[in-house]
Amino acid sequence: MINQKITWKESIKGWLFVLPMLIGVTVFSLYPIVKSFLMSTYTDYDFINDVVYKKGIANFQYIFQDPNFITAIKNTLIFVIGAVPITIILSLFFAVLLFNIKKLAGFFRTIYFLPFVTSTIAISMVWTWIFNSRSGLANYFLGLLGINPIDWLNSPKYAMLTLIIISVWKGLGFNIILLLAGLGNIDKRYKEAATIDGANAWQTFFHVILPQLSPTLVFVFINSIIGHFKVFDEIFAVFGGQPGPSKSALTMVFYIYQQFWASNNYGRAAAASVILFAMIMVVTVIQWQIAKKFDFSRPTKVRTNKK
Amino acid sequence: MGILKGKNMKKLKLFGISSAALMSASVITAGISPVVTTAADKKTEIVLWDAMNGPYAKAMETMVQAFNDSQSKYIVKVQHQGTYQTLNEKIIASAKSKTLPDLSQATYTQVPDLKKMGIITNLDPYMVNGKNKLSEKKLNNIYPGFLSSSKYEGHYYSVPLSKSVRIMDVNTALLKKYNLEIPKTWDDVDHIAQVLKKDGKFAVGFDKSFDMELEGMTKAAGTKFITSKEKVQFGSKTVVDAATKLYNMINNKEAWTAGVDIYGTKRFVEGNTALYFASSAGITATKEAAPEGFEWTTAVVPSYKGKIATELAGNDLVMLNNGKTNKAKSAGAWAFMKFMLQDKQTLNWATSTGYLPLTKTATKSETYKKYLSENPLAKAASQSLPYGFQSTAFLGYNDYRTEMTSAVDQVLTNNKAPKDVFPASAKKMKEIIKDAK
Repeated sequence: MINQKITWKESIKGWLFVLPMLIGVTVFSLYPIVKSFLMSTYTDYDFINDVVYKKGIANFQYIFQDPNFITAIKNTLIFVIGAVPITIILSLFFAVLLFNIKKLAGFFRTIYFLPFVTSTIAISMVWTWIFNSRSGLANYFLGLLGINPIDWLNSPKYAMLTLIIISVWKGLGFNIILLLAGLGNIDKRYKEAATIDGANAWQTFFHVILPQLSPTLVFVFINSIIGHFKVFDEIFAVFGGQPGPSKSALTMVFYIYQQFWASNNYGRAAAASVILFAMIMVVTVIQWQIAKKFDFSRPTKVRTNKK
Repeated sequence: MGILKGKNMKKLKLFGISSAALMSASVITAGISPVVTTAADKKTEIVLWDAMNGPYAKAMETMVQAFNDSQSKYIVKVQHQGTYQTLNEKIIASAKSKTLPDLSQATYTQVPDLKKMGIITNLDPYMVNGKNKLSEKKLNNIYPGFLSSSKYEGHYYSVPLSKSVRIMDVNTALLKKYNLEIPKTWDDVDHIAQVLKKDGKFAVGFDKSFDMELEGMTKAAGTKFITSKEKVQFGSKTVVDAATKLYNMINNKEAWTAGVDIYGTKRFVEGNTALYFASSAGITATKEAAPEGFEWTTAVVPSYKGKIATELAGNDLVMLNNGKTNKAKSAGAWAFMKFMLQDKQTLNWATSTGYLPLTKTATKSETYKKYLSENPLAKAASQSLPYGFQSTAFLGYNDYRTEMTSAVDQVLTNNKAPKDVFPASAKKMKEIIKDAK
């Protein structure tokens, strides 16, 4: 009896501690998620007074027949496939370099981290200037190399490439910090052992550092993929509130935004969000399944050495 | 509760008694001396949202202050919301949370959608009926081009506020250098293009999209993208022909569009373009951007197929409600709308912002004439008024506009001929209009 009483009291206390967070999560995360799912079924809906006249799957039928939505899915996938691997490879490259330099490491870390803490809108303004076809810095440098100026922002051929470049640059800082933390956690003795065994720098990197870093890499990968699926700010700012020339940068979130705010089709916007949610979930589950096959605590190479 | 016993309980009691005493005291004071409560406390507060920034926001604040000074009953509080897009989004969001302002700036094309949402107030009871109505004379004094957009389905829902018109900025130095005149017709423009092209210079610059110029040409040729009977003409030969003309000019490097710069101001003041089609409200921006010694003027747009037509743009004032109307607030909101239509006020507004005066008498007034002689760049706008028209407002306008601008964008950035894009787009517009009903 006494024990039970204490547990009861304790658990109330515990709940009180998490209550503020719980309220926040419920109001700002759980409720909107549930509501979005419900709204995706509202086909005739008075948004202002919250009256639903008709429900059904018409919103989903509509968006899958809408060429704009198909374009949005295509563009989103191109963006994710284009930007994520480059971001991670470059982040890893810079993280390893930063980890190994002795002097000015803090200075360079700050430099690489700056894009992450600066507002996307402000950054995008700078990029629109850099990529300006007539007076931008990018074409100036291309000109020095004898390459004809490229209309980075107004040509549907280059708009996605421009977006990927901006996004890679912006994503570096955060990923580098995470990878640096991961590198710092690797026991130095593994590296020393490899050196004694006569491994060169490449061998050490591929067989010791990389496997040891894999838990961090998996996290960085999942985080990047989710973030890139949700790209919006850069597009809005760089292309002046439009989804790029000839819809070449129309992504899923931009489609959702257009359906909701420009067309006031709340049901269709919610349906598109549900599809985006499903896509991100599928990709994340696949990643987890693959990640499970790794033995993070004892990466293969080290284990075989011990045997 | 045990903790509250003793000393603390006494404190609580004391607090209760003192607050009760305080309350009764204020009731008594209020009862015996109504003079103590100032007039300001009694004024009905009217909240106004706008999308004005910089000098425009300042001008609006001055107008609001003038209204408040003239009033004993109402006080208007203006809240700048950012861009038009933000304002629009905030109206929808606050309609949902039932926290709409009493008055707001809005484009007339939004009226049908706002009416469908049930959040816009019919102005008939204030504007044409009621104690404080606009007299027939005053109503007729407002330019019909501006007032036409205030009516939807036979009722008034808005009053004009910030109105501008498409005009032509002219690089006079460049024309002089090549012995060219300010063009009166599109044929003249073609001639300028032929001359300038040889030297790699441009005849015409447009903003990001040329849709407003295109609709002006369409109107000159006798129709609109969407007629007032909501018939879709966007895919018609008239529109496609005019669009093809502009499309060819761009392909032949006789004209450019501003692209992601949105406005062509920057490129125009670089000096290699003779004409730039712009909003009359953009004169201030061009003045600021122009380098010292840059010689330029403004002119009415050229005629197309023998006629001039130029699109009026800008915003109206609308009265919003959260489903039920508050009589005092509505009367106050109307008082402000009426105030802004007075000659004196519309003149103040026009001369401080560069928007057009809304009434005929204001335009003809000595004050405005003096303003024009001091600001010759503003002349083209008032000269354009007789040719001004507005595009049709209807349910689903936003959706239509997204489709229309994306069709023009296809032509501009994907290099597709208008005849391959516009008819298909017109078909979609028909569906949009049908769906919205």
